[in-house]
Amino acid sequence: MINFSLQEANPMLAPEYIPLAILFILATALGFLVVIIGNLFGPRRPSIRKAMPYESGMRPIGVGTRRTPVRFYLTAMLFILFDVEVIFFLPWAVVFRELGLSGLIEMGLFLLILLIGFIYAWKKGALEWE
Amino acid sequence: MFVPFDSTMLLAILPEILLVVLAGVVLALDAAWQPEKRRWLGWLTVVGLAVAFILTATVSQPESEPRLLFGGMLRDDWLSFAFRLVFLFGAAITTLFAMDHEALGRKGEFYVLLLVSTLGMNLMASAGDLIMLYLAIETTSIPLYILAGFITTDDKSTEAGFKYLLFGAMTSAVMLYGFSLLYGFSGETNLYLLAGKLGELPMPALLGSLLLVLVGFSFKVSAVPFHFWAPDVYEGAPTPVAGFLSTASKAAGFAVLMRVLLAAFPAALPSWQGLIALLAVVTMTVGNLLALAQTNVKRLLAFSSIAHAGYILIGVVAVNAAGMNLGMASVVFYLIAYLLTNLAAFGAVATFGRVSGSDEMDAYKGLSRRSPALALVMLVAFLSLSGMPPFGGFIAKVFVFAAAVEANWIWLAVIGVLNSIIGLYYYLTLLKYVYLYRQDNLEEEQKPLPISRPYALALVLLVIGIILLGTAFNPWFEWSRTAAASLF
Repeated sequence: MINFSLQEANPMLAPEYIPLAILFILATALGFLVVIIGNLFGPRRPSIRKAMPYESGMRPIGVGTRRTPVRFYLTAMLFILFDVEVIFFLPWAVVFRELGLSGLIEMGLFLLILLIGFIYAWKKGALEWE
Repeated sequence: MFVPFDSTMLLAILPEILLVVLAGVVLALDAAWQPEKRRWLGWLTVVGLAVAFILTATVSQPESEPRLLFGGMLRDDWLSFAFRLVFLFGAAITTLFAMDHEALGRKGEFYVLLLVSTLGMNLMASAGDLIMLYLAIETTSIPLYILAGFITTDDKSTEAGFKYLLFGAMTSAVMLYGFSLLYGFSGETNLYLLAGKLGELPMPALLGSLLLVLVGFSFKVSAVPFHFWAPDVYEGAPTPVAGFLSTASKAAGFAVLMRVLLAAFPAALPSWQGLIALLAVVTMTVGNLLALAQTNVKRLLAFSSIAHAGYILIGVVAVNAAGMNLGMASVVFYLIAYLLTNLAAFGAVATFGRVSGSDEMDAYKGLSRRSPALALVMLVAFLSLSGMPPFGGFIAKVFVFAAAVEANWIWLAVIGVLNSIIGLYYYLTLLKYVYLYRQDNLEEEQKPLPISRPYALALVLLVIGIILLGTAFNPWFEWSRTAAASLF
């Protein structure tokens, strides 16, 4: 357990916080400094080519707001669903013996809830590509 | 450390278990049933919530001494018990309002999201740990973002959902930063262990993290200056959802606010009292003044709900460091009265909007001739909102202002009373449209205004509740007092 023993006299000068304060001030100052120096000394020669939207150095093709098929979103979501399931499975398997019967029941309940979601996704056609 | 299985622990989270089971059943049936059978999903949800309500009220009453369960994650006490019942009731009424809504009623997803959000609120009311608290708040909020934008074919609804999401994500991030500071300073995540560690902290650090945490809570209860989402979201969201947002979600925010302030920040009590008093004054005044200018009933109710958050904050301010007094009990009572009243108001708006297709005040002209029953419900709801006897809103206001006077915050009570008078003006303006004005085209008043069965059932229940709270208020207030006592 971390123990923050604070000074009684002036708690704001607690030594633990001084590096934090320095870091905070430096980070803020640096952020401003970089922008200001760039604005003061940097050469500015605008051209049409520079003002173009960046697309891997090529000349941009088509509009920027293209539609992406919503199917990718569904697939990604289903992937996360099963990914998370596996993440929960691994630590459970490690301490399986210590958890005993109640651990088995809990994992069964977890799987059941997940299964309902899976059946729902299946029935609603989330697994069909076309 | 593995805590051995204990069946009384399961009994304490019985309402949450029932909600999960119900949500699973509704989701599975939604997938399995043919579309024409899906209209029964609404009744299934209502019956399920009613069963959960009765079982919770009878079986899962807390023990006399508050307990910390599941490694301190949940606290089982009378406050969480009372709020769970309030949320289950609010969800059931919202389901009744949504059932005949053409865009919501036959969608199983709607009921599932509503149930999951209610589950989150239940956990919010009983969370005893920062991590549990954050998870509960997100479990509540994420379904609500989707519900606000549920009608994807309606631009306003989509806008409402998106706005709510952006505001919610932003404030939740700030709140999470506050939580991380609290943990960093104390090394504890449990609310009840935090208090001891935070007492030794320098005041600026303590107040800084408190401010960050308050941002998240103020968003949830829609207190000024974190209220900007409320009018747009209430206007765009489907009306039953707006009703749910303005009552149950707000009540959950206040449950969390009370618990965190009293459990984790007793060391800074005078400071946060001043802060909350300021918040209360600004919230009441801004809400009421902006409500004056509204011509859309849902926006009017949004600003009125902001103003009511201000009145409730008065009760939070009026807490006594020494222990139990009127303050917190009046907050719990006000929230119950406000839930019934505002659900009735939004229910009446939903009933009317479903038939007429408009939420503008002009459309309400001549309503008393078109549908006397609905006009009567509006009369009860709006008079109760404005704080008129013999309705629940009156008693609730009396208790809140009395608490302020008892705790020597007399100027705050005076501002509250002045604000109630402003409120009275715009509530009565709407009733003037309903009762005194006539439609320009008198044939419009002849059109029937059918009230379908679920609406009628919900509205009758709410009106009875409002009148009961306003007349036989003593048992209700005793319950609020018991619930609030477990905070200390």
